[in-house]
Amino acid sequence: METIFSAKAWATVWQYRATFLNGLINTLQSAVVGLVIAMVIGFAIGLMATSGRRGLQAVARVYVEFFQNTPLILQVCFLYYALAYSGVRITVVVVGFIALGLYHGAYVGEVGRAGIQAIPAGQFAAARSQGFGYAQTMRYVILPQTVKIILPPMVNQVVALIKNTSCLYIIGGADLIATTYNFVTGASTGGAYGPAYLVGGLLFFLVCYPLSMMAGRWERRLKARDQMQKGGEQA
Amino acid sequence: MIKLKNVHKKFGHLEVLKGIDLTVEKGEKLVTIGPSGSGKSTLIRCMNGLEEVTAGEVYIDGHRMTHKTRAALNRQYSSMVFQQFNLYPHLTVMENLMLAPVKLKNMPKAEAQELAMQNLKRVGLAQKAQVYPTTLSGGQQQRIAIARSLTMKNPIIYFDEPTSALDPEMVQEVLDIMVELSHENITMVVVTHEMGFAREVADRVVFCDGGNLIEQGTPEHFFTNPEHERTRAFLSKILR
Repeated sequence: METIFSAKAWATVWQYRATFLNGLINTLQSAVVGLVIAMVIGFAIGLMATSGRRGLQAVARVYVEFFQNTPLILQVCFLYYALAYSGVRITVVVVGFIALGLYHGAYVGEVGRAGIQAIPAGQFAAARSQGFGYAQTMRYVILPQTVKIILPPMVNQVVALIKNTSCLYIIGGADLIATTYNFVTGASTGGAYGPAYLVGGLLFFLVCYPLSMMAGRWERRLKARDQMQKGGEQA
Repeated sequence: MIKLKNVHKKFGHLEVLKGIDLTVEKGEKLVTIGPSGSGKSTLIRCMNGLEEVTAGEVYIDGHRMTHKTRAALNRQYSSMVFQQFNLYPHLTVMENLMLAPVKLKNMPKAEAQELAMQNLKRVGLAQKAQVYPTTLSGGQQQRIAIARSLTMKNPIIYFDEPTSALDPEMVQEVLDIMVELSHENITMVVVTHEMGFAREVADRVVFCDGGNLIEQGTPEHFFTNPEHERTRAFLSKILR
């Protein structure tokens, strides 16, 4: 641990600062694309889980349980080797996008399901009594209300997704963790463990902390508004 | 206008409606009364397809109500006022009124807005057009819900215990509007415990108990000379 206080180690990290920033950019890129895929899958899973149709609900359930109850790192490896052996030629980066999207799609789906189920039955009844079909009821009445409820847990999902890009190092990704690991074990740069991991951690923190803060603030505001509305009804 | 043929409704093993036959004429004001759990709310929820009947048939103006025809029939024929108001909390009062006419009936926005404003004036809440419903009292929310029903311009309005969730001092403001509506050629099917309203407005009163229609007749017949023992027992409890 003495490297933490070693000026030479810090100088090496500083010298390679562009490498770390590059790792961060790759991590954010994987996170953003993974998030888009996760949102699309999660949206579909959430709707299926609340559809009231047994077949669709079963599919959603199996999907969620499978991806939530096996480690992401295993899914990443499996996907990588399965695709490689089946002759599909895609880059490590794309494997990363897909793996993150599939895994977090399950969580986003659960967040969506809970959000839709939190809307009172009377809202569905009102929309149906006016002649809205399923898609219109969702679009005009249910989802606009759901979005507000699920924003805080969704942001927490984004934070988890950013941190989970670290699993991509196992297939040799160029994400921040892989970069950091390569740096500390590298022939010319090796040995600067303390400073390198501190910098890597700090970069993660700088991205994730503001998001967590935002989620917390949203949640408190939402609670305050609920309190106000309850007070209003009693008055 | 509304025709029920041998309608049965089961929730699991519980049979809530046990073979209901009922016809409601165009423009008729039908009031349904009965003890809680008698199936009267389920009855009107079957009329607009919010509950699917287990057996039997529901016809609206000659069209069979099914899972598939529900949206189109409700769009064209009916609106509903709920016990819990069920206004859309993410929309302003004006948007609540305009949503369905604009999205479902292709009414131009300007026309919908004008119509909505007329109806808000009618329920005495034009000044609340731009606020969100949760900032209003229960009585006000229910008056908005009635205005929302009117803005659909549909020939039938169902009222499912519209005053049961209201504080006592707000019941009258809602009933007054319903009495005023009853002078129009709107078909009204009302589930309520307000016997004064039934007496004043109903063309026909139906007494529902245990999933059956026990007795029906004019308010006069009903409140002065009911035939059935169960009707008498219910009325003696409720009219003290």
